[in-house]
Amino acid sequence: MAQPYRYIGKATPRKDGLDIVTGESRFVDDLKFERLLHGVVVRSPHAHAMIKSIDSAGAKGLEGVRAVLTREDIPDFKYGNPRVFRLLDRKVRYVGDAVALIAAESEQIAREAAGLVAIDYHVLPAVFDDYEAMEPGAPQLYEEFPGNVLPLGDPFLGQKSMVEIRTGDVADGLSEADVIIAGKCGYDNLPNPMPMESPRVVASWGRGVEGRDCVTFWISNQAPYLMKVILGAILGANLDVRVFGGPCGGSFGSKLMSWQPMCYAALLSKNTGRPVKVVYSKEEHLGSFVLRPSSRLDIKVGMKKDGTVTAIAGDWLIGTGCYSQTTQAQVAVGCGEAMIALRCKNWSVKPKIVCTNRTASGIARGFGGQELKCALFPILSRGMEKLQIDPLDFMKKNFIKPGDGYLWRDAQWYDYRGISFTAMMDRGAEVFGWKQKWKGWLTPTSVEGAKRIGIGVGVHGNADVGEDVSEAYVRIDSNGSIVVHSCLQEHGTGQRSNGAKVVAEVLQTPLEWVSMTPADTMVNPFEFGPFGSRGTYVILGAIIRAAEDARSKLFEVAAPMLGCAASELDTADGYIWAKSAPKRRVRWQRALFQRTILGYGRFEPDYSLSNCLMSFVEVEVDTETGNLVLQRVVNATDVGQIIDPQGLAGQLCGCLGTAGIDSAIFEETILDSSTGRILNANMIDYKWRTSSEMPTIDNVVFQTPMPTHRFHAIGVGEIATAPGPSAVLMAASNAIGAWLDSYPVTPCKVLRALGKVGNAGNKQRAHTARKRGAGD
Amino acid sequence: MSRENIESRNEPVAGEKLIELRVNSQVYVLRVGRGPGELDPAHTLAFTLRETLGLTGTKVSCDKGACGGCTVLREAEAVLSCMLLTIECGGKEITTIEGLKDAKTGALDPLQQSFIDHSAFQCGYCTPGMIMSSKALLTANPSPAEEEIKEALSGNFCRCISQYQVVEAVKAVSGKKG
Amino acid sequence: MKTFDHYDAHSLDEALGLLANRCGKARINAGGTDLLGLLKDGVLPRYPELIVNIKTIPGLGYIEEDGERLRIGALARLCELAGSKLLRERYAVLCEAAGAVAGPQIRNVATVGGNLCQDVRCWYYRYPAHLGGTMECARKGRGPCFAIKGDNRYHAILGGRKCFAVCPSDLAVAFAALGGQMTIVSPRGERKIAVGDFYSPLGNGLADDEIVKEIDVAKAFGPGRQRFLKFTVRKPIDFAIVSVAAVTEEKNGVFANARIAIGGVAPGPFRAEKAEEKLIGKKPSEALAAEAAEAAVEGARPLSKNGWKIEVAKALITRVIGS
Repeated sequence: MAQPYRYIGKATPRKDGLDIVTGESRFVDDLKFERLLHGVVVRSPHAHAMIKSIDSAGAKGLEGVRAVLTREDIPDFKYGNPRVFRLLDRKVRYVGDAVALIAAESEQIAREAAGLVAIDYHVLPAVFDDYEAMEPGAPQLYEEFPGNVLPLGDPFLGQKSMVEIRTGDVADGLSEADVIIAGKCGYDNLPNPMPMESPRVVASWGRGVEGRDCVTFWISNQAPYLMKVILGAILGANLDVRVFGGPCGGSFGSKLMSWQPMCYAALLSKNTGRPVKVVYSKEEHLGSFVLRPSSRLDIKVGMKKDGTVTAIAGDWLIGTGCYSQTTQAQVAVGCGEAMIALRCKNWSVKPKIVCTNRTASGIARGFGGQELKCALFPILSRGMEKLQIDPLDFMKKNFIKPGDGYLWRDAQWYDYRGISFTAMMDRGAEVFGWKQKWKGWLTPTSVEGAKRIGIGVGVHGNADVGEDVSEAYVRIDSNGSIVVHSCLQEHGTGQRSNGAKVVAEVLQTPLEWVSMTPADTMVNPFEFGPFGSRGTYVILGAIIRAAEDARSKLFEVAAPMLGCAASELDTADGYIWAKSAPKRRVRWQRALFQRTILGYGRFEPDYSLSNCLMSFVEVEVDTETGNLVLQRVVNATDVGQIIDPQGLAGQLCGCLGTAGIDSAIFEETILDSSTGRILNANMIDYKWRTSSEMPTIDNVVFQTPMPTHRFHAIGVGEIATAPGPSAVLMAASNAIGAWLDSYPVTPCKVLRALGKVGNAGNKQRAHTARKRGAGD
Repeated sequence: MSRENIESRNEPVAGEKLIELRVNSQVYVLRVGRGPGELDPAHTLAFTLRETLGLTGTKVSCDKGACGGCTVLREAEAVLSCMLLTIECGGKEITTIEGLKDAKTGALDPLQQSFIDHSAFQCGYCTPGMIMSSKALLTANPSPAEEEIKEALSGNFCRCISQYQVVEAVKAVSGKKG
Repeated sequence: MKTFDHYDAHSLDEALGLLANRCGKARINAGGTDLLGLLKDGVLPRYPELIVNIKTIPGLGYIEEDGERLRIGALARLCELAGSKLLRERYAVLCEAAGAVAGPQIRNVATVGGNLCQDVRCWYYRYPAHLGGTMECARKGRGPCFAIKGDNRYHAILGGRKCFAVCPSDLAVAFAALGGQMTIVSPRGERKIAVGDFYSPLGNGLADDEIVKEIDVAKAFGPGRQRFLKFTVRKPIDFAIVSVAAVTEEKNGVFANARIAIGGVAPGPFRAEKAEEKLIGKKPSEALAAEAAEAAVEGARPLSKNGWKIEVAKALITRVIGS
């Protein structure tokens, strides 16, 4: 396709590239503060207990300790959904739950002091399994949630929000089916998004200019403005909250749940009158921060020989751990994403959110839909196998098309305004060699000795590409330099550079004329933050509108100088001219003499579009050791228009990490079933993909212009992780000729599926598996 | 060795001990002690670089030797600064990400420029470690094969998955001077 | 990390004197890639008062053949073993085992002595202090072995008693197959112990006042064949789930000698003597290899979740012997 653009679609260097490669980037922990104190959290050894007493005298007596705060020393801050979760409570609900906060002159002193806080607990029975938590007599985490079941719905999504998938009549649907599958499957291995940089924050509590209390945060996150809103709601109305967002060492959604460390730092700062930094260790990150929710599905599916899904009905159980902040929203979005992937007329899927005594689940790339579909697709596979349907054909047939619609997170029906992705899927299949490699269900592509090759495919789409509101200003200064006011924080996608890029494109200036304000809530308008692949459509959309507004205003000023209407004008490289007389030009500086131009852009939510990513995977399974090697991935997508090819490639290759494809291979959080301790809360035992074991990845990128965007683009980064895990399960099953439907596919599970390792001597595990319906 | 010999040996008297740390061709003299600004024997090299010397380009992620974020060069070899005691690093030349630029001209190392050209990063948190491991490789082996590049980076974690672009960036400068 | 005193030792005598003076409250730093993790996590029941750096002792980094024996100084680094021409040609299992440890940065610092003496990776034993407190277990002298009733997917299938953690050292497996022995020094003088006998379920055989000085290996018999295989979830970083080192020699078309050691399955490297017996005097074949593999794991008694390791061990032995 011809590239009509000066910058869009072309590789341009990241604006922050020089800082990154020289070590000059200032992440939160790199900032220098005068009189900085270090805050740490005293954490519970018990999964469930009442705190009888806390003696902090020993800790307070240690030289260098400046504050020890317990529940009684702080306001009764609550947050979460519903808003009942206390910052510090009389009860602890997981191993690692916060009991007390310490600020000291060094982290070393603070950690030592933490060991000197004497706490007397009344230990309570704990529950770790989502099904067991709902049984009569199970330990109860909260008085507010009998049976440990949380209410559905998230007020953040509007007055109504999606609390189930219900359309048509499932009885009718099932009666039309050629085959009905009843199945259970769980995606319940709790992978961790695990950004490289653990959660951390600096807070400074002081007097603002008007004499009001003011707390300033320096965060490593992906949504400074949203954190201002959240912290404002928690800390109270009589307080100014200002948030600085600098470079963020990865988040993948998870760090939006940073209200606890932010409050810890703020309260310690208030108490000591000094800035306080809280940096979670990697162990705290993995053991007391955000996991992916667990997901267990128990459903019936009706399917026709031609691949039509006639009905889907059943229960979806979502485990949220000790509390929820966003799980209800993930359920709502996940329900919508299931409808986008499956054009089924008759649905009745009832979600239920349950809490247990482990660290909380929360946001992870793939937000809800990955959790639902990783459990759903293996069940659908059984139906496809019975009817001998090629899964590629099934997914092509069932993914949303123009003329269809879906219920989205606000429980509203949306008529789909996007494109068909069928040609893109075909091209992906061709690049992968699907036709040559597909040998039928439970049949390996090839066998060589103990090694067997299998293939699988998955698909995902998300209508949050147009979610929520962004605002931006584009300011043209009197010297012609351009400043974009956006509270967008760089967290790895390169969107801050893209923000400058689209402005340079609209105003036709050299790239280096455009800079971005720091992501400071005091100088920038509202920005929801880069979630759900919304950056390209929504965030850049607002910035583009602000640039266009600035352009119009500039033309209005220049029009009298050129003696024509503003609408007649054009501009490039700091000159303005009438299109009819391009030779007579006015320099920007003349128009800008003693003047600043300020353009404003706002983007209102649009839920009528979906992106799409199809992932093809090829695995090699060793039937003697059970080892699985991911050999090849082909990602196929249609982005409308590439903004930055290198940034896009990076996002798509991100399918492996961040609790994505590898959550089907080796990523899992291992919770000890008797103590509730997370056994692999470190980066040796929590498995992640190493640089020397990267599979071949090919990205097939279509550019079918999206009419809704100034540059015809749509975002795709967030969904990169979502189609892969179930595709790996499918591929592994095909390779060994036996069903695998438990994540991740460990050597042990492969050997068991092959009948080489029995369940004998493994009773405890077998019991759990039966209960979960994990289907070993 | 005789028993008497050992028993008669006294432990060294605690006195003023100085450590001469050479970082990026600059010498820092640190006094061993437990006061503010002093070198506690328990300080890791990563801590000293970041907190005492203000060289925050070196990143700490796992702090347990698994992620490679804190990789620096010790006499041209890649080592993990979170797994070294500063007190044991005296007399050795340490190079951090801040020391890769040409000291006189300020020009970037070709590897750094190649990382920019290939956008060989996403969030950038692993990048200093990735670059230092790559630098150690290219110093020892200026024309590595692709497999050797991957092996040299096998101890460096990147959660965003920048590795494909990192390998391209390293390949682009291999076989060249720098 | 909590503070400690620190001393750079310049001779073994000096280091031994420091250890003796502190009566068990001093620890050796021979590389630190394991020790610092233990200290940071506050895992050790007794936090050391003194760290004795022995890397400053000159002359302990050698890798050399001396008459009838290969001698490796305790301070030889893993990168040096992995890159040694001598080892590559004549003691390939050592070379491969050293190269299979962790990642390049660790191998540039970690030493042979440190690798052999490192602590176990049991996730109950290693649970960090600042995440709710360490776990008091049998290995620490008080409490149960949590692995028996807990998640023991990586624990011992052979030889566990009271504690079911496995020896994490790859080099121990290679040395066991080569019949290597350690020279250990203490105020009482020098002693030698076979690497295979160095480990017991509750800890290794190094007393508080001892230091490993050297590991030596009798020159490998004939031009035999040596192979090392390590099974892990990931090639870099990971400790062995199962590893196998085999040193075999064929004469007149039959196995004349065989030494097989299995790692990751027991408190120490496990010499598969029954498998070795199966091989001697027989012609190499796939079937023989499989038979030897069965014999190797004959006495295995898996816990609730680690039976699969038997299959992995069998597969590895078959491959090491058969191919």
